[in-house]
Amino acid sequence: MVHRRRIRGVVLLWVALGLSVWGVGHAAAETTLEKIGRTGVFTVGTRTGSPPFGFINKQNEWVGFSIDLARLVHANIEKKLGKPIKFELKESKPDTRIPLLSSGAVDLIAGTMTDTRSRRDSVDFSLTFFATGAQFLVKKGSPIRGIKDIAGKRIGAQQGSTNERVLREKHPQAQLVVFPDQPAGFTALAQGKVDAYTNDGIQLAGLQAKAPKPDEWEIVGEFYSYEPYGMAMRKNDSEFRAIVNNTLMEAIEGREYFKLYEKWFGPKGEVPYPMSEIVLAFLLMQVVPK
Amino acid sequence: MIPVLFLGLSYDFRWSVLWTDGHGGWILEGVLTTLKLSALGWVIACLLGIVFGAMRTAPVRIIRWAGAAYVEFFRNVPLLVWLFFWYFGAPQILPQSAQEWFNRHGAEFWSAVLGLSVYHGARMAEVIRAGIQSIPRTQFEAAVSTGLSVVEAYRYVILPIALRLIIPPATNESLNLLKNSSLALTIGVAELTFMTRQIETYTAKAFEAFTAGTLIYLILCLGIAAVMGQVERSFQIPGLIARVGRAEH
Repeated sequence: MVHRRRIRGVVLLWVALGLSVWGVGHAAAETTLEKIGRTGVFTVGTRTGSPPFGFINKQNEWVGFSIDLARLVHANIEKKLGKPIKFELKESKPDTRIPLLSSGAVDLIAGTMTDTRSRRDSVDFSLTFFATGAQFLVKKGSPIRGIKDIAGKRIGAQQGSTNERVLREKHPQAQLVVFPDQPAGFTALAQGKVDAYTNDGIQLAGLQAKAPKPDEWEIVGEFYSYEPYGMAMRKNDSEFRAIVNNTLMEAIEGREYFKLYEKWFGPKGEVPYPMSEIVLAFLLMQVVPK
Repeated sequence: MIPVLFLGLSYDFRWSVLWTDGHGGWILEGVLTTLKLSALGWVIACLLGIVFGAMRTAPVRIIRWAGAAYVEFFRNVPLLVWLFFWYFGAPQILPQSAQEWFNRHGAEFWSAVLGLSVYHGARMAEVIRAGIQSIPRTQFEAAVSTGLSVVEAYRYVILPIALRLIIPPATNESLNLLKNSSLALTIGVAELTFMTRQIETYTAKAFEAFTAGTLIYLILCLGIAAVMGQVERSFQIPGLIARVGRAEH
């Protein structure tokens, strides 16, 4: 009699637990817009050490090109939901951004994330908002001039970046030294601990521009990989993705994008980087008709 | 996967990422690097610990002060800061050619070994000091009265007893050392935690990758604890430690 009561009690407890976890599991399947509407916060993951996409400037402010684009998305979210939403930034790095997105800690990654097919298995990408390629940063006068010179040399890279993966898979003769973040990699280069540091060309330009003596450094080599930057978001969320893409298209169409580009990459910008004809055409052609 | 479906979660488990595409080799390489790093760090830390722990109990004040200075200096700085110091900071004072040689010969690995050794050496010194100081002074006086010098008394009487007494806290410190070796990834050492993160960035299967790391560290630590337990049993001096158990009438 006591025995039967105990078993019933235990079974009820497990059913209750299961139902509550099931309920939680289902709650986690809400769309990003629903989540933003419910919490009132739009959280964006971005870089802190990648000028000029996301970095801390001399006035100790967290600013950047990608952050400005994310603010445009924020404005459209507020319009769509019809109420003010808080805009929050969180640091994300190549090795933490996908987990941050899947766990719901951030709603959008707007930094320097390259859109690749394998990454599309885990996240969805917006339209490409910047196009560059991987190169090498070396001390001026270094014998390394490109990808063909790296065999047997120590090359610094960031863990989780596409550059590290390309070198590891396609150029195993280079000695990869992998760091968790960009500042550590650049310090290693500055101290001669690595012979070259690899990253996307524009990020290297940012590092060079922010270095104490920019003339000591050179960016060398043809693009050895194509790096289109996109904003990443959780999969299977077409409504949110439409908002992000429409924001980008409106910005390119309405020239707001080019004003921001001029601000960060123009001759007076943080990191001068003129846009090539090909990239301009590509950006314009991404804007599909209304 | 039935519990997962029941819970309505949408995560797609794929444990094979841990061994396909050469990832198994990565994990193995990571484990070996962790073990190498920890073993070297442990040996040097124990030596430093014995020397400085004994120094802190010496009858001569200058020696005691030197031991205390080492311990306080090295244990009061976070290990992560030490790693950055030995890798990015200290080599700067060496001449250029020495720096270049160091860079070409495993600077990352040896900086990590140095950082782990000095930090855990300081902590071991405290553990050993506690062990030595728990030995009644009468033992030391008895040893010296049989004609042994101070150093001989330490070497043949005090330290052997102290080393047996400190096996439990020393095991604790050794496990800490093994776990702290994971910090070496911040200066580019490809140890186990680095490899699990590598698998995660390549496959986006965070749960599987980090579970693998968790389980491996757990097994390594339990293994070390088991070995230390065995060491404790095989080296014990009968009657030295009071076994607190059922009162015998």
